[in-house]
Amino acid sequence: MQKLRIGIAVCVTVSLLLAACGGSAPQPTATVSPQATATPMPPTAVPQPTAAGPEATTAPTAVPAVPTATTAAPPTKPDKVTLEFWYSLAGSSGQAVEELVKQFNESQSYIQVQATYQGGYAEIMAKTWNAIFAEQTLPHVAQLGGAPLVGATGACVPITDFTDGPGGIDRSKIYDAFWKYNMAGGKIWAMPFNNSVPVLYYNKELFKAAGLDPDKPPETWDDVIRYGQQLSDGEGQWGFNTNDDTHWYFSTMVLGNGGQIINAEETEVLYNSPEAVEMLTLWGDMVNDLEIMPPAQHNEAPTDFLAGTLGMLMRSSSVVPSLSRDAPFDLGVAMVPTVAGKERVAPIGGGSMVIFKNENPYVLDAAWEFVKFMTSEKSSLYLATHTGYVPIYKDALQWPELQAYLEQNPLSRVPIEELQYSYAIPVFTSLGTSDSTLRQAIEAVELGANDPQSALDEAKSIVDQDIKDQQQD
Amino acid sequence: MTVQPDIQKVPLWQSQRVRKAVFAFFWYLFLTATALAVMLPFIWMISTSLKGQKEVFTYPPSWLPKEWRWQNYIDAWKGAMFGRYFINSVLIAVAVTLGQVVTCSMAAYAFARMRFRGKDLLFALFLSTTMISTQVTLVPSYLVMKTLGWMDSYKALIVPFLTSPFAIFIMRQSFMTIPRELEEAARLDGCGRVRFLVQMLLPLCKPVIAAQALFAFMGNWNSYMWPLIVTTSKELRTLQIGLRYFVNQEGGTQWGLFMAAAVLVSLPVVVIYFTVQKQFVEGIATTGLKGT
Repeated sequence: MQKLRIGIAVCVTVSLLLAACGGSAPQPTATVSPQATATPMPPTAVPQPTAAGPEATTAPTAVPAVPTATTAAPPTKPDKVTLEFWYSLAGSSGQAVEELVKQFNESQSYIQVQATYQGGYAEIMAKTWNAIFAEQTLPHVAQLGGAPLVGATGACVPITDFTDGPGGIDRSKIYDAFWKYNMAGGKIWAMPFNNSVPVLYYNKELFKAAGLDPDKPPETWDDVIRYGQQLSDGEGQWGFNTNDDTHWYFSTMVLGNGGQIINAEETEVLYNSPEAVEMLTLWGDMVNDLEIMPPAQHNEAPTDFLAGTLGMLMRSSSVVPSLSRDAPFDLGVAMVPTVAGKERVAPIGGGSMVIFKNENPYVLDAAWEFVKFMTSEKSSLYLATHTGYVPIYKDALQWPELQAYLEQNPLSRVPIEELQYSYAIPVFTSLGTSDSTLRQAIEAVELGANDPQSALDEAKSIVDQDIKDQQQD
Repeated sequence: MTVQPDIQKVPLWQSQRVRKAVFAFFWYLFLTATALAVMLPFIWMISTSLKGQKEVFTYPPSWLPKEWRWQNYIDAWKGAMFGRYFINSVLIAVAVTLGQVVTCSMAAYAFARMRFRGKDLLFALFLSTTMISTQVTLVPSYLVMKTLGWMDSYKALIVPFLTSPFAIFIMRQSFMTIPRELEEAARLDGCGRVRFLVQMLLPLCKPVIAAQALFAFMGNWNSYMWPLIVTTSKELRTLQIGLRYFVNQEGGTQWGLFMAAAVLVSLPVVVIYFTVQKQFVEGIATTGLKGT
């Protein structure tokens, strides 16, 4: 038995070492470059390497590390380009993406796009990282969250190469925050596609029952507290809560209070500043002193709200249509509250479209044609009227089609108007760690396990260390 | 005539039969309560699958839908390419289950009965792999698939799972409980190793094999990350990925549809469980008691 144990210990160590080596296997010399499956092949074209055997029909061919003739001769324009497109939106939002792709495919005959759902933001990210590091088949275009980080790996072409080139677009027509949201390392990597802002949902019937004016939603955080106290009854009905992505709503408060999330050099986070501590103190008070928000029950908040046991819910604007459909009561939507006397700030969230590098300029042009279509005013309008995402264009409220839609769905107007306050929290490499660490700090304060100042000090030191570690890699 | 006084002597509540019945009554009451508690999520899933979106959130919740929406099932089936996903999931799970029984029983036989150099070390090596989490091996396995050129194919979904160290371990333990004399007698009568394995060992260890097969089937049926990572085309996707398509992270999930899809996806496992239930229970009992 002793022998067996030692044997196991040795084997585990060896296998772990092997696994570790396997993980670092990608050769630094080769570059990621998915090849287009140009079909049918023009007779003059250089023969493409048919690498992957039977799979070649279903996916863009995997690029073997051997340099091929394609690099030597300039490629000729193919008769037809087939693009592989990965997306991460499911349900009705996913159907909207599929519909837009269908419209694009039917609008012309030169480019054919194959759209495939690849899981939510987390899964498509895991899949894309795997593909990048294993130099495995990447798609030509992808729609994902955290897009600039994928771009900064060197796997993508900066989107400004297309937007500012011939056949480009007027970037000033789109809100500046959307461009900043897609920046990393000083370059814009992706085209904004599906975006949302945090908003405040409220139950008009509970407002009436509590003696509040249902047409006067809270403007400031002081209002939220005042209303919240009237809405809470101490018997299972609460005044205010947020969805479970608490870091987003907390960041909204910090930014609204004049604080910052990260410094300009992106070397350290700044959320132990007095502005941030003040807001987390307020947050903790709402739970522990004022008792208008239940402690650590953010997962249940949307269900509580729909069940009519929660007066106000802070959540992404992307659920405006589904909540208006599902709520069995009169629903109200308001912009994010402000800190009295200060400017409103609405940090945007959502996904963007990236174009992956390719040796064939015709494929890149085709990919841009597709992305341009997907993010055009027409598509932005389609997305805004069929999903909960906001149109990215500044003049959207002047579009007659959108006006007609808002006539029928007045609640959707709020997030669009809120875009004038839109702001982009910089996308930095430790953003994932930062978000989860912030959520833990918030929870610790809600449960009374830590005080706001030291919770944020600890969060900052964890994330700063992570930033340092990332830079060393 | 002699029986009558006996009946009168022993009061009814003291009679053996009545006491047994009372005990059985409470025993079954307890079992029913436990079973209901375990089945609660399942019943809730079925109940939600028949509700409209508005009814899902009503408070206090009701067990029976006010309006039975069978339409949810039709919509769910149409919501994703479930027909194709179904074929894929069945194909992969069946292939993996059969493959595991074949390869693992042979390996288990070797480890249980044959003598060769380095047997213990090799066995320890096999066992140690069960202690590495799948997340750790995800990237290396991905690289192996890539090197073999198997990305986006059925091979990548089936071959890596054709053997399982856990199954080898369980089967080996079970084979070791069969008396060696039985094999010696069979060998004397001219029975070869393969024939002994197929005709004697496997039937004798049927409960364990059945339990193991069910584990393999379920494990494969439920796998999500690996199929998502190694396949890119819709035609190769499995049911679990189809299910994921109903979870609309940012736009609000249609719970009725989602639960209807979940019922459809879990149905085959339930059916299989009931068909092999007897063996399965025996298998759990034996692996639990005799596995040393």
